[in-house]
Amino acid sequence: MAEGVRRLLGKPGSVSLQPYIKLLKTIEEREEALRKLSDAELTEVATELGNAELPYDRDDLAELCALGREAARRTLGERPFDTQLIGMMALLDGHVAEMATGEGKTLTGALAAVGFALRGQRVHVLSVNDYLARRDAEWMRPLYTLLGVEVGWISQESTTEERRAAYAADITYASVSELGFDVLRDRLATDVSELVVPEPNVAIIDEADSVLVDEARVPLVLAGAAEPAESDAAMAELVRRLRPGIDYKVDDDGRNVHLTDTGINVVEKALGGVDLFSAEDTTLLSRVNLALHAHALLHRDVHYVVRDGKVRLINESRGRIALLQRWPDGLQAAVEAKEHLTPSETGEVLDSITVQSLVLRYPIRCGMTGTAMAVAEQLREFYELEVAVIAPNKPNIRIDEEDRLYATAEEKEEAVVEKVKEVHATGRPILIGTQDVAESERLAKRLRRAGLECVVLNAKNDAEEAAVIAEAGTYGRITVSTQMAGRGTDIRLGGSDMRDRDRVVKTGGLYVIGYGRYPSSRLDDQLRGRAGRQGDPGGSVFYVSVEDDLITTNLPEAKGYRVSSADGEITDPAWKEMVNHAQRIAEGQLLELHRNTWRYNQIIDVQRSVVLEQRRAVLHEDLGSRQLAVDCPETYQRLVEEVGEEEVARAARLVTLYHLDRGWADHNAFLADLREGIHLRFLGRRDPLDEFNRDAVPAFKGFLDEARARAAEMFEKLEVVDGRLDVAAAGVKRPSTTWTYMVQDQPFSTDLENIVGRVKNLMGRD
Amino acid sequence: MLGAFVRAFRTPELRNKLLFTLFILTIFRLGAVIPAPGIDSVAIEKCVQQTAETGASNIYALINLFSGGALLQLAVFALGIMPYITASIILNLLTVVVPRLEALKKEGQAGQSKITQYTRYLTIALAVLQSTSVIAMARTGQLFQNACIPEEYMPFLHTSYELPVLIMIVFVMTAGTCVIMWFGELITERGVGNGMSLLIFTQIIAEFPAGMMRIWSENPAWVFALVCVAGVVLITGVVFIEQAQRRIPVQYAKRMVGRRMYGGSSTYIPLKVNQAGVIPVIFASSLLYLPTLVVGLLGAETDNKVVDFLNTYFNPMGNHPVYLTTFFLLIVGFAFFYVAITFNPAEVADNMKKYGGFIPSIRPGRPTAEYLDYVLTRLTTPGALYLGVIALLPMVALGTSGAAANFPFGGVSILIMVGVGLDTVKQIESHLQQRNYEGFLR
Repeated sequence: MAEGVRRLLGKPGSVSLQPYIKLLKTIEEREEALRKLSDAELTEVATELGNAELPYDRDDLAELCALGREAARRTLGERPFDTQLIGMMALLDGHVAEMATGEGKTLTGALAAVGFALRGQRVHVLSVNDYLARRDAEWMRPLYTLLGVEVGWISQESTTEERRAAYAADITYASVSELGFDVLRDRLATDVSELVVPEPNVAIIDEADSVLVDEARVPLVLAGAAEPAESDAAMAELVRRLRPGIDYKVDDDGRNVHLTDTGINVVEKALGGVDLFSAEDTTLLSRVNLALHAHALLHRDVHYVVRDGKVRLINESRGRIALLQRWPDGLQAAVEAKEHLTPSETGEVLDSITVQSLVLRYPIRCGMTGTAMAVAEQLREFYELEVAVIAPNKPNIRIDEEDRLYATAEEKEEAVVEKVKEVHATGRPILIGTQDVAESERLAKRLRRAGLECVVLNAKNDAEEAAVIAEAGTYGRITVSTQMAGRGTDIRLGGSDMRDRDRVVKTGGLYVIGYGRYPSSRLDDQLRGRAGRQGDPGGSVFYVSVEDDLITTNLPEAKGYRVSSADGEITDPAWKEMVNHAQRIAEGQLLELHRNTWRYNQIIDVQRSVVLEQRRAVLHEDLGSRQLAVDCPETYQRLVEEVGEEEVARAARLVTLYHLDRGWADHNAFLADLREGIHLRFLGRRDPLDEFNRDAVPAFKGFLDEARARAAEMFEKLEVVDGRLDVAAAGVKRPSTTWTYMVQDQPFSTDLENIVGRVKNLMGRD
Repeated sequence: MLGAFVRAFRTPELRNKLLFTLFILTIFRLGAVIPAPGIDSVAIEKCVQQTAETGASNIYALINLFSGGALLQLAVFALGIMPYITASIILNLLTVVVPRLEALKKEGQAGQSKITQYTRYLTIALAVLQSTSVIAMARTGQLFQNACIPEEYMPFLHTSYELPVLIMIVFVMTAGTCVIMWFGELITERGVGNGMSLLIFTQIIAEFPAGMMRIWSENPAWVFALVCVAGVVLITGVVFIEQAQRRIPVQYAKRMVGRRMYGGSSTYIPLKVNQAGVIPVIFASSLLYLPTLVVGLLGAETDNKVVDFLNTYFNPMGNHPVYLTTFFLLIVGFAFFYVAITFNPAEVADNMKKYGGFIPSIRPGRPTAEYLDYVLTRLTTPGALYLGVIALLPMVALGTSGAAANFPFGGVSILIMVGVGLDTVKQIESHLQQRNYEGFLR
């Protein structure tokens, strides 16, 4: 009844499952018939199902479900539950299916992928990391083979040929970032043969909330080598002499550093009495700031390592060396100067893409996750996706205990250690979820000191960690892990092969301890969801302290609690509510950030689509040579007579594309610059977003005409060398290497909206 | 700008938004002329005329202005948007005082929507209160300064069903306020511009034709022409100054962007000449409203010295130099005060320094703060004087001709009109730029 009212009101998460449930009986009848068929006959049935267009009618849908079920039983030894089939049908209808952990989301997604692929759609299954993409593709391969569809996967190490082959398959598994970077690289192609990613059809998104909401906050950025950088050893030497705290100050969060008044004087004197803040030359100050940033904020072996005479970045959230990543805008060179290395070439941002625009390219989108309801409204607002809540196959009997709140971090740690000791004595497996890598190491050390042996996981190696986390349900095991570690891997009681299951069940199943609440309730739920898989017993509890980041950053003024017992526990319900309040503030800010990324990118997306359309026409339809034939008819005629039409077309294409890309990179840089200071407009009672659009539009005006004029100018200068047109001599350069970074790794991102928020606060308005 | 409107109507999505806004505003105006049940619309029309002709100072003039004349017509939407505005102001103030509301505000969107819900409840309460008092005053004839007999426009008075009808009118007006509130939210959500501001805008504009008509019929033609010219000049001037800003260039020197150079800097702090907006005028008006209230409370006997004093020097209709000077000084004072509390140069300078921004040739930190303060003071001085002049100009210029009471270009209304108008046009433009900028491209 209540469900019906919600649906009537169009509340999120109220997709009706009734039509799917009604079909279940028919599916079982069909299944019996299919059992008798041989494998080859089964493949035949699948092929026949493909002789129609999407969407499936009810008859075909039942057949497809029965077929998928039978194929999964034969190839994977798993007969999909009713709930999985319901999920699959929801996916086929383009919804996000919310299914609890351990309910078999991977198989559900695979069955839906088959459904789409049989009807001629190219399916991309997007996962959160390379390991999962590869694992799922390989795991499901027998199923796909039996049903006559091809599957491929992509990882960071894949070569261009491997990528092309993987994309050519009916179903391709890839991580979101790999797909995004492939799309970005395709936008630099100068020849049709260089393209890798095919036209987008269907996207099935695994862990949809992580991908679509959490990762959507940071755009993927592609950068290219521009020119060799100058070494700034002198500046590196200069900042090395500065005294921390006196000459410069580092922010509490370690994201920003600035010179103090004393420091400014010292630097100006050391540079020979210059004025750093003169209106004429600001490069000097930039150099000082970069050197200082490299010196004070980036630490060797924490943020980067030096290997083979090169600076290699360490991905902070995952703790491992990131291939093909560099710092932008001169920072790389500054770090190299700091380490006395020869500078590599500087890079510039060529293009960027948000997860939003990446996913919205696909006409059909769907996904599955364990925690979708909390973000149902965002999924609807940003992706036009509805959530279908699918009840677990067996009811969840996990016991979620109330949060335990402590006054200080030490008291919390003490309490956790005590709790672990107590629970561990019964042999019950324990999983402790921490906020970050450093915290998990610290806690592990503390546990070991207390004589509690534990395993630590911190997202350094997805594959290894999947194996470790799979064993977290073993009798007497203590696992300390970050939230991210071992995603997508089930924790089975009694070990991965469940050999010891009965004994573990008797202890009460997996006990999850959250070492502090996360910035969103969804992340809390994901951690809790590690226990109580498929009707297993289990328990969860969160330990929070008033000194946790969540509370200190969001409720800095929170003071005046009363400690209720000697060990520092606070039982005052009002204070426990404070924790929820802090979390809601954090959630509100993240949503605001997401919405802002989206809003600021709208205009950029529109402008980009104009450039991309032009690019496509040049690449595929020879627009370049047609334009140049009009713009410089004489040169064109002369060149055609000299080297032939085909060669002229090639040169025209390269020249035109070069100027399109060049112009776009310049425009991108302009927009980045514009956005950096746009929050200041708020001081004049202007809406920063409106102001951004107001400046971005005129700057783009005449973009195509200008690129065309420049191309014509260059075309006039082309010379014939050995019967070929020498475009390189005329100035066409391609980036020799490209690399990528996510903006969260970008040191200059200062969370624009935080600044705006701060400015707004000090202006006393909302 | 005209071109922008044409383009706006060519964009389907924006066209729908604009049409939707106009549609809502039309219904809103309709409700403002439909009398509440039981009211004789012909009689009340006559009554309004009579009151205007006697030239009796009407203490409800401002409220009436904000309700687009609906109040004195005892229309369904008699209360206009005022209860909602009052409620939002109250809740805004309460968020500073009540910890629970402050906590909610911090939670972002979710908390904000809860506060909005409270605002709605408070609006209903205020609407009940306000409609009751309006009806009570209408019943005794006080609403029209006793210029006409209540029984004429409320024919049901002194009958057996007097009470039920009165209750019904209160009910209808309260419901009307709720509908207006909904309209405002609808416009904000699905139309263009800020719904509440647009509703006020409509109400002020709605009084224009009637005011102009009165000037036309009561004065020689040259006065009418003069008023028209003065109005146009005034509005142009206000638009000009509202748009005026001083751009202080800011540079962020944290990156090496290489060889690129752009013409002009896109990073700057725009400081408006009139940074405070219309708020000082409203503050000053409400403060000067107090003497009138005091007079009302003490009774109008002339032998009371206080009343006598207030009546001589602080009668809003008297245009006494003391009154005008006080008004002017208050506006200027509030303008400076408002800028001082909303713009803290030291904090802005600190924030810039932290993120590597600086004003060319000015050192970060204190020198920057001092520079900002200097510029701001030099800007606010003319800005505050301008506000005072605009607010006073109509009173001074037309005070003696007797047309002031009817002059539609009152300082407050012009400032609000221009402000809302500019905001709305900017929003339409922003929509255009975000969606359909092909129109701009070639």
